[in-house]
Amino acid sequence: MKNEKKLSMSYYAIRRRNKVKQPVVDYFIHGVSLFLLFFLVVITLVPLLNYFSLAFNDPNFNQSVTVFPVRWDLSSLAYIFSSKYSGFWRSFLNSVIITLVVTIVSNLVEAMAAYPLSKASCPFKGGIMMFFVITMLFSAGTVPIYLLMRTFNLLDNIWSIILISISNVGNLLFYKNFFENIPKEVEEAAIIDGAGALRTFFNVVVPMALPVFGSCCFFSIVGMWNGYGAALIFIKSSAESQMPLAYYLYIRMTQDATATMYDTFLQTHQDNIQAASLLISIIPILAIYPYVIKYIKGGATIGSVKG
Amino acid sequence: MTSATHALKRSAKENVYKKGFWQRQKEGFQKNKGILWFIIPAAAFTIVFSYIPMFGVTFAFKDTLFDKAMRSNANILGALAYSNWTLDTFGSIFNDTFFVALSNSLIINLIKLFLVFPLSIILAIQLSEIKSQKLAKLILIILCIPNFLSWTVVIKVWTNFFDPEIGMLGRWLSGLTNGEHITYYEASFKPLFIFYAAWKGAGWGSILYYAAITGIDKSYYESATLDGANKFQKALYLTIPSIGGTIALMLVLNISGFTGVGLEQVKLMLDTGNASAYYQTQWTLDLYIWELSIGQGAGVSYVQAAAVGVFNGFVSLFLMLLGNAITTKTLHRGLW
Repeated sequence: MKNEKKLSMSYYAIRRRNKVKQPVVDYFIHGVSLFLLFFLVVITLVPLLNYFSLAFNDPNFNQSVTVFPVRWDLSSLAYIFSSKYSGFWRSFLNSVIITLVVTIVSNLVEAMAAYPLSKASCPFKGGIMMFFVITMLFSAGTVPIYLLMRTFNLLDNIWSIILISISNVGNLLFYKNFFENIPKEVEEAAIIDGAGALRTFFNVVVPMALPVFGSCCFFSIVGMWNGYGAALIFIKSSAESQMPLAYYLYIRMTQDATATMYDTFLQTHQDNIQAASLLISIIPILAIYPYVIKYIKGGATIGSVKG
Repeated sequence: MTSATHALKRSAKENVYKKGFWQRQKEGFQKNKGILWFIIPAAAFTIVFSYIPMFGVTFAFKDTLFDKAMRSNANILGALAYSNWTLDTFGSIFNDTFFVALSNSLIINLIKLFLVFPLSIILAIQLSEIKSQKLAKLILIILCIPNFLSWTVVIKVWTNFFDPEIGMLGRWLSGLTNGEHITYYEASFKPLFIFYAAWKGAGWGSILYYAAITGIDKSYYESATLDGANKFQKALYLTIPSIGGTIALMLVLNISGFTGVGLEQVKLMLDTGNASAYYQTQWTLDLYIWELSIGQGAGVSYVQAAAVGVFNGFVSLFLMLLGNAITTKTLHRGLW
């Protein structure tokens, strides 16, 4: 940091000495780009605030909210928490199960597989890597996977989503790249101290790879919490007890007209309640958003390619 | 990496391994005996959920008896034995609906390639122009938020924003147009689709480029400034060539997924709003396959869906190879 400052000072000194003026067009470009960024920030935040202020607005009052509610009121949120919104908490729980199981099992399984593959002396290394990478290039497609799950009797069951999501070759490659750079001596020391293969892996290798685990798990969590592509294939829209949350909300958004017939409060305040349910659905993501901030501030180099 | 370093590495390898191939594998096995079983769980999942479904390619070469058997809940092997081999399915899939779906997918992805893909790069360059790194990162943190929301939230937020009674933009627009509603009418489906994709992904997409740009040596910019280059010239002749590797990689990955546009988004956008009138004209390839195989309509046909899937797979493989060839030719960088 200190060095940089020194450098830039000498740079300004050179500029002053050589009388290099900043080109006039630069001020223009700078202004335009600042304006554009400001505009982007506004169109990112305003629609979000505009929508979620509905969740805090009094459902019986004027609905023309801005970025703030017209009149603060928590009855829409309370409606969700009172579990009258049928199926919401069940699918919330489903999503928690799916996210946790996939994140833990997938990352464990892929990291374990990456460990022997990171050794230069691993037998048939090229062949085994090819075996995994081919599945990234050729995917079987919707029909065979659907029929496979049908054969296993797993349709309309959250386990179909879990099982199909566990294999993640991208993560395997990240882990392999990281393990390859761990100095050999560290593991050798552990082995000399009498640690077995499992102990060496879990007590020596995994702690060193925690940053990689962090980012891979983070992306697993976000992907599983928000995605409903697999649910669209495996879960019928009538199987309410086996839906992940994102899919449940999608079904509510598209079919709420029929679902609300028997509930007058829901019928008349549909917009507020939907906003409240979506707001609750993004809370887990907001809870791990500080990780994104850390990721961005850290320079976002894990798993990326530096140009 | 230059070919010289490759040659050097190769010769080094050859010096180490003067033994035969099988000898080396045997020694490697002896050395890694304790940890080799670590591969088994991942391999098992890959075999069951990636390799076994690949045999589903054969469904595309079966006649409609296969559909009949599957619809009456036969098991797969039974249905395969029951039906006959044929190539007719490939003749029957190339109908109007298919070409509409294919062209929709390609059009959306082409526009995305020319508008959304460069947007992330431009965004990253603009962010890197900001003197205060703290401000740049704050903006980046805000622009990344939509990427972490599900499509349900994204579409709902924007349909609400356009709503003439609740949404801010909708109220303003309906004031301008005397109460006419802005909905997903046919003409605006694709622009809105691309806009939502850009809104969701552009900020997050720029992180990679931003990281690459901050890795560029500052002295290049200083000497360019001394030579009198303006910001635009610096971005064009310095920044973009410097992050060429990242751009090439993202470009190839982007092109290889060219026939898919994201089932979640398409389905949601067509299901909300009064889309039934033009539902089929906006089908994309993913949605077409979905409708053929899982959709509740009368036209469910596993063999046709499998055939479209096979076609889809070959097109994306071809596009990836093509994209890789183009980037290797023009940017001298590729996937391998």
